[in-house]
Amino acid sequence: MAGEYGVQELMAVLLARDLNDGELLRVGVAMPVAEAAVRLAHLTHGPNMELVFLGARMNVADLETIPMPAFGWDRRVVRWAESYSDTGHRFDRLKDWSNHVFFIGGIQVDPFGNTNLIGIGPDYRRLKFRGPGSVGTPSLSTHVGRYYIVLNSHSPRLLVERCDYISAYGWGTGGADARRKLGLPGGGPKYVVTPLCVMDFEEETRRMRLCSLHPGVRAATVRESTGFELVIPPSVPITEPPSAEELRVLRARVDVASRLRR
Amino acid sequence: MNTGRRERIIDEQQAAAWVEDGMAVAIGDPAPMALVRRIIRRGVRNLTLVASGFALDMLIAAGCVRQTVSYYAGGGPGVPVLPSFRRAAERGEIEVWECEEGILCAGLQAAAQMLPFMPWRAGVGTALPQVNPDLKVFRDPIRGEELIAVPPIKPDLTLLHAAAADAYGNVRHLGGPGWLDLFQYRAADRTIVQVEQVIANEEIRADPWATTIAAADAIVRAPFGAHPFYSRGFYITDGAHLRAYLQAAEQAAGGERAALEEYLDRYCRAPEGLAAYLEAVGIKRLLELHEY
Repeated sequence: MAGEYGVQELMAVLLARDLNDGELLRVGVAMPVAEAAVRLAHLTHGPNMELVFLGARMNVADLETIPMPAFGWDRRVVRWAESYSDTGHRFDRLKDWSNHVFFIGGIQVDPFGNTNLIGIGPDYRRLKFRGPGSVGTPSLSTHVGRYYIVLNSHSPRLLVERCDYISAYGWGTGGADARRKLGLPGGGPKYVVTPLCVMDFEEETRRMRLCSLHPGVRAATVRESTGFELVIPPSVPITEPPSAEELRVLRARVDVASRLRR
Repeated sequence: MNTGRRERIIDEQQAAAWVEDGMAVAIGDPAPMALVRRIIRRGVRNLTLVASGFALDMLIAAGCVRQTVSYYAGGGPGVPVLPSFRRAAERGEIEVWECEEGILCAGLQAAAQMLPFMPWRAGVGTALPQVNPDLKVFRDPIRGEELIAVPPIKPDLTLLHAAAADAYGNVRHLGGPGWLDLFQYRAADRTIVQVEQVIANEEIRADPWATTIAAADAIVRAPFGAHPFYSRGFYITDGAHLRAYLQAAEQAAGGERAALEEYLDRYCRAPEGLAAYLEAVGIKRLLELHEY
């Protein structure tokens, strides 16, 4: 145990633990938890990881600190880049993307890990909430080896029975072969990480299942905060809190501006 | 006999005159803001805009846009969706041609190669073909897989920002073009590139491999012309300026347009040209942005 820590720090730490050396990690804009996670993994156990942010590909395991960019349009990230993937075709060599990992958010997420960045409301021409658009998430979720759904809140409005519009296909309407049937080469969403818990997808049905509860969170709270029926096993472990060493590296070498603690 | 090679340098006013009501215009990354501001100043209307980001929002705010072809309209921290885009889309004032990065690339490529469509896999299983009926799900004749046919996305005009060019339209980027720039250039009928510097043709010939765009249709001199965005090797993004714009745009989306109109007047409509705009921004601010 390492004393006090913020829930976003916990989320970053447990994502970092699940990343393997040698993988290429793609983080989009406005995902500070994922940005922290890939940097932390890179420093603690991933010297051969490659970090891609806004097209800039870097290996910076030798740096004492790898601060997170201040905002999405902070082009100074390229100061560490060894190459800039976007000089060619962003989606060249999709054949090699099984080794790629990425992180996705959404304005709605359904029980099968489908996500929505398009908008909310029954009439597409008059949306109640117009979302930002799909970015590259359809292409990324189709092709990467696996991805993580990372949410900064956990509510029935966000975790819904049905997405009004699916922009990134997770496990469709369920079933272990949901993606294979459609010919989607990527491995689909692995975990959903929220401020309350970690969820995965049941092997047969690919329905979202409670996997671990963050310290102090009750299963009943998760159930009430989820807009669909979550698979809840009889016994749910507690998320392993950050170790002192994980927190030290995270705070001293990655999140030097304390963005995850605000 | 005709022995004079045509020079392609035009000024901002001439460039803006290439943009006509109802055109499809693609905007590169960083956005060529000197040209974008001229479009706003001219009051062009009903554009189909192939663009993502702040330039898109500003052109919508100024009433220039009828349709957007955009993969992302996020506004940065605390602003999940660009305010003018969001409000106009929700009220049905603009039409959104829903797409994403890969689909956009495919459509631009189809246009460049005069193909009726390019196949793309991503989007299969999603709502994209429903909300954008131009995207057709089809079964491929070779392997029988379900794919999406993306029709050509053809800009009448592509507007880009780059580091340098010679008088004949040979363009050179410092640190590479924006990720979609070359797709937009290849797909468009015509391309105008605004540059930090015009350089000698001899300099281009000394390293032809460094030429990123051959034969752009026109070149516009625009030092600091991407402000408030970055220009690689020259200056960084002016975050404070963008935040000020965003704030004004958010107020406007909430129904209070005064601050936004003031912004557009001060920075887009009043300045007679780039130099006047840069004076409005101020030398002190501009020099701070040289800190790379």
